[in-house]
Amino acid sequence: MTERSPIIPRDVIDRSFAKQGPKQYTLWVDLEHCIGCNACTMACKAENNTPVGVDFNRVIEIEEGDFRDAQKTPNVGVTFVPMPCMHCGRPACQAACPVGAITKRKEDGIVLINKDKCIGCRYCAWACPYGAPQFNAEARVMEKCTLCVHRLEKGEQPACVTTCPAKVRFFGELNELTPLIREKRARSVNIAVVGADTKPSVQYTK
Amino acid sequence: MDKSINFQPEAAVRVESTLCARFRCTKSQCAACTVVCPVPGAVLLSDDGAAITAACVGCGACVSACPNGALRPLEDDARLVERIRERIRPGAVFRIACNRAQGEADLVLPCLARLTEALVLEPIRAGAPQVVLMEPGCSSCGLVKAAPQWEKVMAFADALCTTAGLASERVVRLRVARGKAAETRRSAQAPNPRRAMFRAIAERWKASAEADIAPVGEAEAVPAEVFRDIVQRHSANPKRVDLLQVLTNLPGAKVASKVVMAAAVPLAQLTVDSCCVGCNVCETLCPVGALEHRIEDGTYRLELDAARCTGCRVCEVACYQQAMHLQETVDLSVLFEPRRITLVSATQRTCRGCQESFLDDTAEFCPACRVSGERRDAIARRFFIGGNQND
Repeated sequence: MTERSPIIPRDVIDRSFAKQGPKQYTLWVDLEHCIGCNACTMACKAENNTPVGVDFNRVIEIEEGDFRDAQKTPNVGVTFVPMPCMHCGRPACQAACPVGAITKRKEDGIVLINKDKCIGCRYCAWACPYGAPQFNAEARVMEKCTLCVHRLEKGEQPACVTTCPAKVRFFGELNELTPLIREKRARSVNIAVVGADTKPSVQYTK
Repeated sequence: MDKSINFQPEAAVRVESTLCARFRCTKSQCAACTVVCPVPGAVLLSDDGAAITAACVGCGACVSACPNGALRPLEDDARLVERIRERIRPGAVFRIACNRAQGEADLVLPCLARLTEALVLEPIRAGAPQVVLMEPGCSSCGLVKAAPQWEKVMAFADALCTTAGLASERVVRLRVARGKAAETRRSAQAPNPRRAMFRAIAERWKASAEADIAPVGEAEAVPAEVFRDIVQRHSANPKRVDLLQVLTNLPGAKVASKVVMAAAVPLAQLTVDSCCVGCNVCETLCPVGALEHRIEDGTYRLELDAARCTGCRVCEVACYQQAMHLQETVDLSVLFEPRRITLVSATQRTCRGCQESFLDDTAEFCPACRVSGERRDAIARRFFIGGNQND
């Protein structure tokens, strides 16, 4: 597993974190120690009271390796990638929304859906490369991870962060998370897709 | 601003947001009102639609320019039609002048840009052989920015006359000298301008008092209606209703097909390509309710009421699949013979994932479920195996 991981030179990390943009609350997920227990998914479901099929946080399982190749030592593994809303710098969902229901808050960079405006057309779900917006069929509106804004207002951390039994999720301001990530991990990358160019804010290390 | 322009205070404009393209769709680039508004800062455009500020002089150019009829003057079209009807003399040319034109006219307006197609055609409907627009030359006027609007309306009204089989040049312009226009008052009921002004002030004062008091009482009782409920409603476009009424009553009309460029008229010919997934966003957001879907025996049909479409382009910009297209030309005869055009007819299926309906002959999952799940897995896998592609 380790040999496949690309070695990201330190200057790359520095460049990606160097620019001091507007304030952006975000998450850091340490994939190396994630045990895939889905406690974050369940905590999120309980906290936001989402119906069946609507999950703001999903954990993707990626299996690796092959037993059939006899020449090599079986080298198999599984990695779990929890995927909440990335609270992108240039949200594709915001660009797709025909009625302007999605806003990125200037004060903390959280991308929110205004349920009074949302007409439930699901354009944001089509646009999002991360599958973050979820359609609530009962209310006929889109919902997605809000970074638990209702908890942040009370001074608490998001439910998924406080619940994580392996302590691999961290919450903070993007520029303040950097020293924390540097301290714990030498290498860090964030998920991005070629061409999508949405500037996702959630940080992953592996 | 030209000091010779003396506006009646009654000509203030209000906005009916539900008809405003900007209000219904934030992607809309409609700026019909701001393009013609001669006063800088009188019309403001935002995500909440158009808003009229105190700078407004009430020339009414925006009222005429808004294809959806979202802007309503205090002296609305019904009152102007009344004024036209009581001054019309059958068989005589009907003259409409701006108040800077020299000479006598049957109807004097603060600015000719206030005229809508329905108002220009009203005298012809009532039997006048010709409508003459008396203009003293707009280039020296402070409202010169509004001038293209009345020229556009005049051309459209004339084209409609041709489509109706009437002789050409039923609506013409007449260049006159600058001066002070006088109204030929035919009726004893013609309002005393001074009295009319005071009555208008009283009405405005009354309206403003009502507007101030009403929301306070209501706000506590019922919460304000939310946007998503408001857009489900479609109010009728008052301008188009008036125009259709005038056109159906044109004397001696023999409708022929006449194809014109769509950019010059508030009409559109829509087509929808095979990308349509039947999401109904165009139907929901259409300000004038020109689109309607029907489901019969598992077949989804999207129908266009061509006479109601104003070509505001909300459906075109709102469609995520970019399936909606406006044709470059449009046939004016759709206004005379209202017809429903079927834009889409396709099999509707129910998604196995989200239980929502979509248009496809074979797929089991809707495009939203198909792309979001697959893409999420793919992006996570690519990240894990290949590293961050952006680095």
